Amino acid sequence: MRDLSTKAGDATLTSTQVENESRSPLIALIGPPNSGKTTLFNRLTGLRQKVANYPGVTVEKYVGQVQCDSERNVELVDLPGVHGFSARTLDEQVTRDVLEGQVEDLPAPDAVVLIVDCTRLESQLMLVEPVLKLEIPTLLVLNMWDELEERGGSLNELELADLLGVEVVKTNARVGLGVEGVKEFLSQVEVRESGVPLPEHVLSNVPRGVPLPMIDAFTARRRHLDKVVDRASFVSPGPAESTNALDSVFLHRTWGPLVFLAVVVVVFQSIFTWAVPLMDGVDLLITTSGEWLASRLSDGWFRSLVIDGVWAGVGSVIIFLPQILILFLFLGILEDSGYMARAAVIADRVMYRVGLQGRAFLPLLSGYACAIPAILAARTVEDERDRLATIFITPFMTCSARLPVYALLIAAFIPEGRLLGPFLGYRAAVLLGLYGLGIAAAVVTAFLLKRTLLRAQPGSFVMDLPSYRLPSARSIGLRLLDRSKIFLRRAGSIIFAVTIVLWVLTQFPRTDAGPPPIEDSALGRIGQTIEPAIEPLGFDWRIGVGLVTSLAAREVIVGTLGTIYGVEDATDDSITLQETLRRDLTLPAAIGLLVFFAFALQCMSTVAVMRRETGGWKWPILQFSYMLFLAYSGAFIAVQIF
Amino acid sequence: MGLDTPKSMLGSRNEEPGGELRLGDIPLSQTVELVRIDLPSEGAEPLLERGVLPGCQICPVRSSPTGDPIVSVDGSLLALRRETADCLCVRLLSDAS
Ligand SMILES: Nc1nc2c(ncn2[C@@H]2O[C@H](COP(=O)(O)OP(=O)(O)OP(=O)(O)O)[C@@H](O)[C@H]2O)c(=O)[nH]1
Ligand SMILES: [Mg+2]
Repeated sequence: MRDLSTKAGDATLTSTQVENESRSPLIALIGPPNSGKTTLFNRLTGLRQKVANYPGVTVEKYVGQVQCDSERNVELVDLPGVHGFSARTLDEQVTRDVLEGQVEDLPAPDAVVLIVDCTRLESQLMLVEPVLKLEIPTLLVLNMWDELEERGGSLNELELADLLGVEVVKTNARVGLGVEGVKEFLSQVEVRESGVPLPEHVLSNVPRGVPLPMIDAFTARRRHLDKVVDRASFVSPGPAESTNALDSVFLHRTWGPLVFLAVVVVVFQSIFTWAVPLMDGVDLLITTSGEWLASRLSDGWFRSLVIDGVWAGVGSVIIFLPQILILFLFLGILEDSGYMARAAVIADRVMYRVGLQGRAFLPLLSGYACAIPAILAARTVEDERDRLATIFITPFMTCSARLPVYALLIAAFIPEGRLLGPFLGYRAAVLLGLYGLGIAAAVVTAFLLKRTLLRAQPGSFVMDLPSYRLPSARSIGLRLLDRSKIFLRRAGSIIFAVTIVLWVLTQFPRTDAGPPPIEDSALGRIGQTIEPAIEPLGFDWRIGVGLVTSLAAREVIVGTLGTIYGVEDATDDSITLQETLRRDLTLPAAIGLLVFFAFALQCMSTVAVMRRETGGWKWPILQFSYMLFLAYSGAFIAVQIF
Repeated sequence: MGLDTPKSMLGSRNEEPGGELRLGDIPLSQTVELVRIDLPSEGAEPLLERGVLPGCQICPVRSSPTGDPIVSVDGSLLALRRETADCLCVRLLSDAS
């Protein structure tokens, strides 16, 4: 290794002599939030962890293999971004624990790659001093070198390396420039002698609650860095012109909120308009393949299972793939461009009134994709009570699994028509209303929680606003691909399994003429047992069965109804799911069902993650009951009103 | 002043009422120097870690639609709440020189 400081170098020299054959070296990737750690990690390992242009994307450790050359493998661990090591949030705690070797099944790292955004070098280098205290080989990666040069900044990186006493590599992780240099460093890391533990709790020695030494420590560190950066002839890059120009629109007093609204309206409208041709295509594919298959199979129970059960059930869910992809396309653009952090700034006042941290807005926004990563992302929220309140209201954010249910019912019951000229149709408006309903429930719930169970002072709010970046077609494309895979895998597993079980239940008890009329089948009986409970809402037993199966995952209700009607109307292939729904549900009941889905926590995975993240059953049970209560009473009221 | 007499840095909020400039009072695009952070340590630490330290130069670059300041410090853009900005005592650069 070239030119390591004595501090870091000593540790290397002693450990190189002690070969530990049993494991490959572990290298920790650390740095401030949004400095490009995961981008670099993905480059080196070939994995596809989530990258987005706002701070706090990674909230858990991820280990990946890096093939340095033909015979050498090292392990790289990607970590949540930190500004320091006082671990005020749970994600920062993860980083500190990994660095200190406090994690089971993971040895203390043998080396560190510290990656910083070199366009704002002074503040990002604050991590150098504590990291060097670990006394393990360290590589400093000056990432975003492209932006530094583009904006007219410069730096003598060799001088910087000398002054800090670490190896330095400059990179553009986004396109992979300079990544070879990182690989070279990785390839030389050796497993540390197991007998030499890290200086214990070296990172946690910042005394908390003792303010003066803390400020002094920071100021002293900073003064030193200012000198270092100065001697390495760092020319700070000018402000990014594009960021300035875009912010003057997106954060404008009137234009900002208007643009925000316009973006939302466009998203919802396109979910209905753009998706139509694509959905017709998918529909055609499913029907023709079903017909082809039906013609191949001889009449009998197997054909009924495949066509009326599985094809009708799974097919009725898959058809919503285009709408989900459109939603993710927009979410991807918002996340990668840097707009998300601005949206959080615009929403901060509302959050403040409610009693939540502005920080909590980002996890909540990611809840529109799926509540599970959003609940994990709430780890970035500082106060424990604020974090609990955030994850408690996350399932009210309309996740993408609700979309098929909404889209099906809206298409069946809401006429097409224009509300605001060409911009907003009735259907999109109703969809928008449902999202709004979720937000309203979240706001009210948080307001109540913060004044009862989870009382706390509003904390301070500091939000880093990243530079705007052009989302790359490749990264968005890969996201959509991954999303399609997840969606299809769910259709092929949970929904597939549920449709088979349901089909079997429709076949018994056998009558002389074959399968019973569906009302008399086992499924019909089960449904009719549930029916009294949901009768006040105007739902019949079929919906009741759907509500039960949708506990596994929300969109399963669509597959369930597909199967029930598939079996029931096996003789009539021309009738669509929408038509049968119109036959069996009144408009008020359909609205009631929409409201029910807006509120109810029908997702066992969410409950499981809640349990893990809150460390017990108390919160998930409370949350489930509360949301069920809201859903039931909300649907009841809706049925009365309409 | 703040740098040499660290005791005043975290002094109580209204030590010298009226006589001091707060970041919240500074017009846009005027660069000022941070003198003191009137926040408890939990509130101050996120700022310190991001380079908002006594002695650093801060410039409010715009205000958000809700009237909260967005400031530039060492090339980073930070969004603050008004309430936080009012806890940051600053002085004009011309005074210093
Ligand atoms: N221009 C440029 N952009 C980059 C570079 N490296 C990463 N980015 C972008 O910076 C943003 C943040 O990247 P991430 O890899 O998610 O950052 P991170 O450090 O993992 O962030 P957290 O997980 O939130 O701590 C993304 O929009 C990347 O595309 C680079 O070298 N140049
Ligand atoms: Mg990351």
